[in-house]
Amino acid sequence: MNGNARSSADGTEIHDRGYRKYEGARSGVVGAVRSLVWQTIRSILGLGRPARHKVFPVIVVVIAALPAVVFLGVALLFRDLGDDSLVNYSDLFGFSVAPTMLFAAMVAPEALVRDRRDGMFSLYLSTPLTRASYMGAKALAVLSVMLIIALGPVLLALLGYTVIGDGPPGVVEWFKVFFRLTAAGLVISAVMAAISMAGSSVTDRRAFASVAVILVIFGGAIVSSILVDAAEFSNAYGFLDPMGTVGETATRILGESPEQGGSASELSDSDTAAVALGAAAWFAAGAGIVGYKYRKLEAT
Amino acid sequence: MSIITTSGLTMQFGTQRALDSLNVAVQSGVTGLVGANGAGKTTLMSLVLGLRVPTAGQTRVLGLDPRARGAELRAQIGYGPERNVLPQDTPASDFVKHMAEVRGMPRNEARGRASDALWLVGLGEERARSLGTMSTGQRQRVKLAQAIASDPALLLLDEPTDGLDPVQRDEMLSLIRQVSREYGIDVLLSSHLLEEVERICDHIVALDAGRLVAQGRLEDLVGDEQGVAVELAETADQPHAFNDVVSRLSESGLEVRHGEVGSRMEVIGPDADLIADLVRDAVADANARVIRIERRRRRLEDLFSAGTP
Repeated sequence: MNGNARSSADGTEIHDRGYRKYEGARSGVVGAVRSLVWQTIRSILGLGRPARHKVFPVIVVVIAALPAVVFLGVALLFRDLGDDSLVNYSDLFGFSVAPTMLFAAMVAPEALVRDRRDGMFSLYLSTPLTRASYMGAKALAVLSVMLIIALGPVLLALLGYTVIGDGPPGVVEWFKVFFRLTAAGLVISAVMAAISMAGSSVTDRRAFASVAVILVIFGGAIVSSILVDAAEFSNAYGFLDPMGTVGETATRILGESPEQGGSASELSDSDTAAVALGAAAWFAAGAGIVGYKYRKLEAT
Repeated sequence: MSIITTSGLTMQFGTQRALDSLNVAVQSGVTGLVGANGAGKTTLMSLVLGLRVPTAGQTRVLGLDPRARGAELRAQIGYGPERNVLPQDTPASDFVKHMAEVRGMPRNEARGRASDALWLVGLGEERARSLGTMSTGQRQRVKLAQAIASDPALLLLDEPTDGLDPVQRDEMLSLIRQVSREYGIDVLLSSHLLEEVERICDHIVALDAGRLVAQGRLEDLVGDEQGVAVELAETADQPHAFNDVVSRLSESGLEVRHGEVGSRMEVIGPDADLIADLVRDAVADANARVIRIERRRRRLEDLFSAGTP
């Protein structure tokens, strides 16, 4: 910076620090996507924003991690109970249903609705980003944040059990469990991210988008329960419950049947292929809505 | 060399034709894209950026086709939109750095350039402030900073003085001029305020209802013409004064142009000083009152009233 400065009318000073031409390499679409993913994650978690934006993410993360911490504590304090003091991983996924739903209702509206309301969507499209790369970056950011809730506590439990000596026996078995947990977490996060982004694509009001996401997840569970449990319709109506569907998918990935300690659901008797298709259908429905809405969204 | 060329560029929205067979060649320097609201300025900018598919015609920007090589092209363009697009909670430096990264700057380079750009536009001390707490003038400066931070070859600025008071407008125009002259960045600046375009632009592209009205170097489109322009005061006690002055000047062999009604006339001739003397004498003889006598001048407004491409 040199000392060449002049005052302006509103009290600001214009400093001529010199302008440097940039001759180096540019990072292109890859750099644009990387920056957008990171900026979106920061925005969702309230990083670099006033404290009030950090409150909700912190609360949900604490709620999600609490069961894993409690069970680790129980396992550590009551080691003489043996395996009775341990919780199975699909149950831990089950404990994260409520925080995952809360996060799904908050994450994508923050990631998508804000950009449309601020006009940032159009500004981003004036850069190397295209609609496809913009949506890819947003999906990656939403998925990453959902993984914190869906996978974080379970991995914490795995590491904790391992440290206290109650983890999977042997390195091969440990990695087998690790990859199964990661796959299950990815499925839950991907489906929840797709539903969350779909809800955020249909309205420009963040609150409405959050309500829409909760309605789909919570409403699906209620309708499914009424049809299967109360009206005694086919268990196939259990697929109307997105959380139940991905939960069952996670159970199958983990290889924990109800008989082996896994949780029972309306879909427990369904084929694994049908369960996987159900989860894929929810993902495809969410992604389809997002694609349709953003293909038609005008950038000016 | 033309940095933007269009041929037969047409954009139709339903029954409304926003651009109609537009053939323009934007040269290096600062080019003013002028026209009333709805003339097609923003539509042309979105076509230049490749954000829309034209109904017909071709566009080349910096030698590239925006439709075929849009991402590559947009990495070389800094865009300052008309709308208020800034995220409220984000500090100015974070926003400008992020936009520089999105336009292809490596992270460390983006940080330094964001800081430099904010100092350049006069917001160095305010760079940590949230955008939502800034005044309209400061936010317009941030929009300029984010557009230049990535060292673009071409700046597209859509109504960059919108919402600014006259002093802030002067400062913004000076900054834009500085960016072009000192840093060698070509600028396409859209505005509906003709006098600000006249002040800083080298070239003009004038649109009216989607059609090209005029294009070329500013000095060829505006400037002094032969003769003088005269404006007389309308007074109740001298109702024929205007016609008397016109008659006397015509009898002197001068060409006088005036409308059906009004108090302005143009007196055409090669020697403006001599004509001014003759006008003074005619005004005195007719006992008329003068508001102003000035050299005839082509103005940007005249392009729109003439309507000739």
